[in-house]
Amino acid sequence: MLTLLKGGRVIDPYNGRDEIGDVWIEDGHIVAPPRGRQADATHDVAGKIVMAGAIDIHSHIAGGNVNTARLLLPELHRARAAPMLPLGTAKWSTYETGTIYAGMGFTTVVEPAVAPHQALQAHLELSDIPIIDKATLTILGNDDFLLSLLRDGESPAAVADYVAATLTATNSLGLKCINPGGAEAFKFNARTFGLDDVVPFYGLSSRQIMQALQQALVDLKVPHPLHLHTNNLGVPGNVGTAIATIEAARGMPLHLAHMQFYGYGSEGELGFSSAASTLAAAVNATPNVTIDIGQVMFGQTVTISSDVLRQFSATGSAKPKKSVIFDGDANGGGIVPYLYREGDFVNAIQWACGLELFLLITDANRIFFTTDHPNGAPFTTYPDIFALLMSRDKRAEVLSRVPQGAVALTSLPSITREYDFNDIAKMTRAAPAKLFGFKDRGQLGEGAIADVAVYSPGEDIAKMFRRAHLVFKDGDLVVRDGQISHYRWGKALKVRPEYDKAINKRLASYYEHHYGVSHNMFAVPEHILPRNNPFKEVACAL
Amino acid sequence: MADALIDGKPASLEAAAARAAQILVEARLPLVAGLGADVAGTSAAILLAERLRGAYDHMRSDEIFTDLDVVRQAGAMVTTPSVARLRADVLVFIGDDLTEIWPELIDRLAPAEIPPFDLEKSARQLVWIAPPKGAAIEGVSIKRIETANIAVTLAALRARVAGKPVALAGEALEELDAVAAILNKARFGVFVWGPRRLDRLCVEMATGLIIDLNKTTRFTGLPLGTSDNAAGVTQTSGWSTGFPTRTSFGRGYPEHDTWRFDAVRLIESGEADAALWISAYSPSAPQWTREVPLIALVPKETSFAREPAVRIDIGRPGVDHDGADFSREVSALVAREATRRSDAPSTASFLKSIAEQIARNAGQSGEGA
Repeated sequence: MLTLLKGGRVIDPYNGRDEIGDVWIEDGHIVAPPRGRQADATHDVAGKIVMAGAIDIHSHIAGGNVNTARLLLPELHRARAAPMLPLGTAKWSTYETGTIYAGMGFTTVVEPAVAPHQALQAHLELSDIPIIDKATLTILGNDDFLLSLLRDGESPAAVADYVAATLTATNSLGLKCINPGGAEAFKFNARTFGLDDVVPFYGLSSRQIMQALQQALVDLKVPHPLHLHTNNLGVPGNVGTAIATIEAARGMPLHLAHMQFYGYGSEGELGFSSAASTLAAAVNATPNVTIDIGQVMFGQTVTISSDVLRQFSATGSAKPKKSVIFDGDANGGGIVPYLYREGDFVNAIQWACGLELFLLITDANRIFFTTDHPNGAPFTTYPDIFALLMSRDKRAEVLSRVPQGAVALTSLPSITREYDFNDIAKMTRAAPAKLFGFKDRGQLGEGAIADVAVYSPGEDIAKMFRRAHLVFKDGDLVVRDGQISHYRWGKALKVRPEYDKAINKRLASYYEHHYGVSHNMFAVPEHILPRNNPFKEVACAL
Repeated sequence: MADALIDGKPASLEAAAARAAQILVEARLPLVAGLGADVAGTSAAILLAERLRGAYDHMRSDEIFTDLDVVRQAGAMVTTPSVARLRADVLVFIGDDLTEIWPELIDRLAPAEIPPFDLEKSARQLVWIAPPKGAAIEGVSIKRIETANIAVTLAALRARVAGKPVALAGEALEELDAVAAILNKARFGVFVWGPRRLDRLCVEMATGLIIDLNKTTRFTGLPLGTSDNAAGVTQTSGWSTGFPTRTSFGRGYPEHDTWRFDAVRLIESGEADAALWISAYSPSAPQWTREVPLIALVPKETSFAREPAVRIDIGRPGVDHDGADFSREVSALVAREATRRSDAPSTASFLKSIAEQIARNAGQSGEGA
């Protein structure tokens, strides 16, 4: 079937396109305007904005820790309306997750923190998220096998083989490292853990672990660089850690996650201030580093993190007052509900700090839109954040309501920049495609999959992004005016790096000896997942 | 051999699915109960319950909520058997039924072995509160605390760990203080309990004690959970509806209430008027006494007081067919390959037949989620 989206403003920064024009779709892909053929379906999108489907690079939507949060907090997600499609209004369910993302024009979402031993559950959950494609990042860096390799001075090739074997077994798109060594140190009763603190038993610093994993991914030619959640998240004055981590990347590719949570100085009466301008300057000056924001928005949420040491220290501020701390086989995790309040000094600085980073970092290819869902805010707030980025007046309105003592410790009021639609499209489409090595999405070029979002621009930016006018997934029209018409089932994207399979034998005997179980127990066999052909490969560089 | 029985008489699976669909659609409030199913079977059961606007519950929900109710009231600090095995320098067992609940417990935690990830490499200490009679583990000297009231003992221990007075004296106090000292000096301690001998009060007290101990050292818990894939069903239910079992779709969307949607209460009160009973892991029959039309997906050897309206010899996940379920030994969902593959239908496949039959009767396609 040949489909024509006629006469919209096509914004496709990946291909340098921003013009009134047409987009043609056939067999699930974007095609060149066909000569002498009539479209089978024509959508008049004059006055609308046409973009590729958006890509969320970091959103906690599946896996054991997310599910623990669901079970911990039944009072926070009561359903209120009957669904049009199965379980579509069951709040915070996998079904609702896909429904809301698609309604906003997001067609690919990356779950960034899957423990190797929880990979099957993560993929089972992802399989039950309709419409969108998804992917996982696998966590290493607090596991005994890796730390032992490093302690024993084994070769970078052995580390790379282990990383590759783990990515392959867990069917993931890349590697995440969360407070390298910190979770392990917490098991030895450490309560803080910095970049150069040393993990007892292994004699390794966080810096060494991070650099070894960074190198392994370069060696394996995995497109996505190490996705790092560095030390001292949320700690006053932690901008020093952020800058030291940026320097520790030594010019090699590194992605730093949710940097808003590391943009803090220690100025002011309360010893807590925004250091976003310092951090933004460091990022601007370091082309090998990419970051996402982790924007905070005011309201109730729950923090879900495999940084178990940090989460344990946050349990005192849980609201409601309950949390789960999981000492897992490696990272584990912590689930701590939290209420960000507009009238709270610290929360106001966090909110401003994220926006400052958005507005002060200049290279659109290196900054990514996230709330670290749900840690800074649920993904349902994205449209409101787009509105804040696009309007200085909207920001001023909020700034007038938050504690003025906090405002004085940020640079946000002085920032005049406003994002335009092209900036939004770069940050949520073109740049994420490059970050993950996607050739087939984040763009509307010929041959790309036909993931397309059409928006109705208007005064109310948030409304425009909350309910897309039309959304196509693989050429299939699934959303009209924010409403899903039917379910379809997307793929999980993964890499398959080359490696020496001899490492699998070592792993097998390691699991028998240490855990007393077969390594196969943690496998993710394709046929156990509920949909056929659940995976799609993203090529590693040659 | 018959694939299915309708009113005790041999029938085809198709006929059984058709009869089951009719019973469930005609019910005012149909109930999906038992729910001893793998992940695929649980997903299918929840989607069917939604389609029918019925409720679902698990046969072991009382034990599920002994732990989960405490988690969502007071929180939790928990770990995996692997971490306990590799790291715990102190193990605290609570209750005389632990090895009944999990026969492999001792083998898996290896208390006689020096924990390889402990810096000091000293022998583990094992404290057993309310131990079974004559409990002995080769190579381990067990510090026993005999008690008829676990909650009170945990409360007293919690007080002594915090250095607070208790209404005990003499030998009893000395014994308790000796254990409090072991806990306070532990480097990485693990409490182990099950949801049968312990009630919510005990679990909350153990959790409070763990949280207190973490002010100065590291401690965590290993709740053993219960059987019939209760943990796997809870996980699947969690991501499917946001809620654990005891959830109803009476209003079209999921509502969760541990009292209202207790399967036994729903049947005995007359609110639920038909039931689909699933027990793929054990030959278990419903606990209720009131008679309602029953569709039973159970192993051959299951016996009922009254013959179910429809009965299927259901396959066991990991034996008759591949499946995913919760593994207690690694604290995770795992894939199980069939060990004795057979033609016995899986729960998911039979429920799909019922759903298709319902859709056909309603003139829709059976393909929903």
